[in-house]
Amino acid sequence: MMKEECKALLDALNKVTACYRHMVLTIGGTSDSQNLREELKKTRQKAQELAVANRNKLTTVLKDKTVSKEDKAEFERLWVIFSTCLEILEIDMRRALELGHEFPLNVPKKHLIQTGMSGGTSGVAARAMSIQNMKYEAEHNIDVVDLKDLENEINQVGEMMYEMEMKVNVPQWTVEAKQDPGAELKSTISVGASSIGMISVEENKSFCDISKVLAGIIFSAVLIIAIVLAVCVVKLS
Amino acid sequence: MPCLRKMERMIVSMQDPDMGVKMRNQRLLITVIPHAMTGNDIVEWLIQKYGISEEVPAPAPPESLHLGNLIVKHGYIYPLKDPRSLVLRADESPYRFQTPYFWTSTKWPATELDYAIYLAKKNIRKQGDLIEHEKDNYNLLHKRINHTWDFVVMQAREQLRAAKQRRKGDRIVIDCQEQAYWLVNRPPTKNMDYYKREIEYCRKAMARTRVKSSICLEGYIKFNEQYVPHDPIMSGCLPSNPWITDDTTYWAMNAPTVPTPTKLRVERWGFNFSELLADPLGRAQLLDFLKKEFSAENLSFWEACEELRYGEQSRIPEIVDSIYQQFLAPGATRWVNIDSKTMERTLEGIKTPHRYVMDDAQMHIYMLMKKDSYPRFLKSELYRNLLAEAVIPPETKKRVFPFMRKQRHSSPSPALLLPAGDTEERSRGPAAAPVPEEES
Repeated sequence: MMKEECKALLDALNKVTACYRHMVLTIGGTSDSQNLREELKKTRQKAQELAVANRNKLTTVLKDKTVSKEDKAEFERLWVIFSTCLEILEIDMRRALELGHEFPLNVPKKHLIQTGMSGGTSGVAARAMSIQNMKYEAEHNIDVVDLKDLENEINQVGEMMYEMEMKVNVPQWTVEAKQDPGAELKSTISVGASSIGMISVEENKSFCDISKVLAGIIFSAVLIIAIVLAVCVVKLS
Repeated sequence: MPCLRKMERMIVSMQDPDMGVKMRNQRLLITVIPHAMTGNDIVEWLIQKYGISEEVPAPAPPESLHLGNLIVKHGYIYPLKDPRSLVLRADESPYRFQTPYFWTSTKWPATELDYAIYLAKKNIRKQGDLIEHEKDNYNLLHKRINHTWDFVVMQAREQLRAAKQRRKGDRIVIDCQEQAYWLVNRPPTKNMDYYKREIEYCRKAMARTRVKSSICLEGYIKFNEQYVPHDPIMSGCLPSNPWITDDTTYWAMNAPTVPTPTKLRVERWGFNFSELLADPLGRAQLLDFLKKEFSAENLSFWEACEELRYGEQSRIPEIVDSIYQQFLAPGATRWVNIDSKTMERTLEGIKTPHRYVMDDAQMHIYMLMKKDSYPRFLKSELYRNLLAEAVIPPETKKRVFPFMRKQRHSSPSPALLLPAGDTEERSRGPAAAPVPEEES
């Protein structure tokens, strides 16, 4: 049951890291906004909490001498996954800092890059925070104010990683992956067909569900009107 | 890399709503994605912004196209229709700007881990149908970073799920962006040139001279021991430190050309040949000595070569010619003695003159002077007389009258105050030196 808890925590951290990276990708582009910066702040704070929780749990387990060999191997594997995840998070945080400095939002002379994005990232942020809708309550110059906090948090994460290296001795090369190449294909979760062939015919396959429902409603409405008219005609004649 | 900074600035100036590139919408079957531009628009903007003239000798491509190609090759703009060919076509083919996260940067190189995550995502999306080289890379990476492969799979799945939260149009854009980024950073074709360059690079890396750190450190210690008496901060400054006492005698006495050099300066000429050459006074003394030995043309030749190396680009043919006439031509007035092989190579090189054409000959003469004339110079009468006549500046004395504002005194080395105490002493050291003396 310790294993399940650790796995769940790690999955949560993994999810938040993926969402964070997705959001950092949009800094500087046309989807960038004060909301995005606030989302970034909240997401990385959540990521840090999860990281600390993960670290505490895993260090207690790894220091425990009563754990069996297979379990220990499994926990070491989780530890390697955790440290890689943390590395990626730190790199993304550093990049967010750099991009945040380069693309301040309220300066009229500095234009955002027209990357072709038009939507927001609130869905991604909501997924990261595991809530339904995001609430935005920050001030209008969060893009500048937040950078200082970001620097501090980067330092914190760096220190945490250093401590982890020093305290827990798990050589990375001793861990073997459980997944073979191509394991991701066996996943039962269908990830949809958001294909790269933008001009190709595959567009036809991926109709939005909403438009299908809309078409159905319109069709049935037309049918009902036709039936009503026919009944009226029959009645009148 | 400075060229990246320049390209980034160019990209940002292209975003200007008034003066930037004209944007159009890209129409796909159902979705409309904004911010597309044609190759023509980009080329026209470049021509207009930088005043590029279209007159070029064939078969060179016009400069605007060349600039545009550079931008596309480095991944700042990517083509929408034919993503694999990273060229700028000056026609109606559509392009789009890359998001800043994916800009080329030497600070954030594309990592193996990221590439593995990208391939895993592509694998999932295409249900296993990857391109040849991607399949190879995938298997290679599975072996190489096997210990984090589980993380790769987990992260790939999560990133795809996160992307689903966005609008359809944005999802397409993100896919295109990522694909373009990896096409720039992991190009599909590794042709002969690539492998030849890799082999050359590895060979050079193996052939680099390596010095044991013990020897390196010994050399470092020797250097420091030799130079410590000459350092004004470590060993005090005679007559006095101008920054503390406002007395500029020190600078006057050590000016590049003085009639009588200081003793420390003359001693430094004995450390190594480059010290002697670097000091204009020393160089002049060397010239005098060489004149007596009838080998002054060596030094003149070396100086002329330095002028060639660091001089103006437009004067290079002229300087090369004058060097040839004065020093290298058979029967020249100041003919230098170079070995035949180097002479042949140099004469060949003179036919196509450039800045470094005299390098071999210059190095030969430099080593000749260093091995031959320099030791003789140090043992010569001339040098010994210089040492004897050299001046040790006296320490400036304290003025007797206490109420004179400008107290002249020798400034002891702040480094000498260190043994007395801890950091507090050190921080007060340089400040403490003038303060108590000014009071007394």
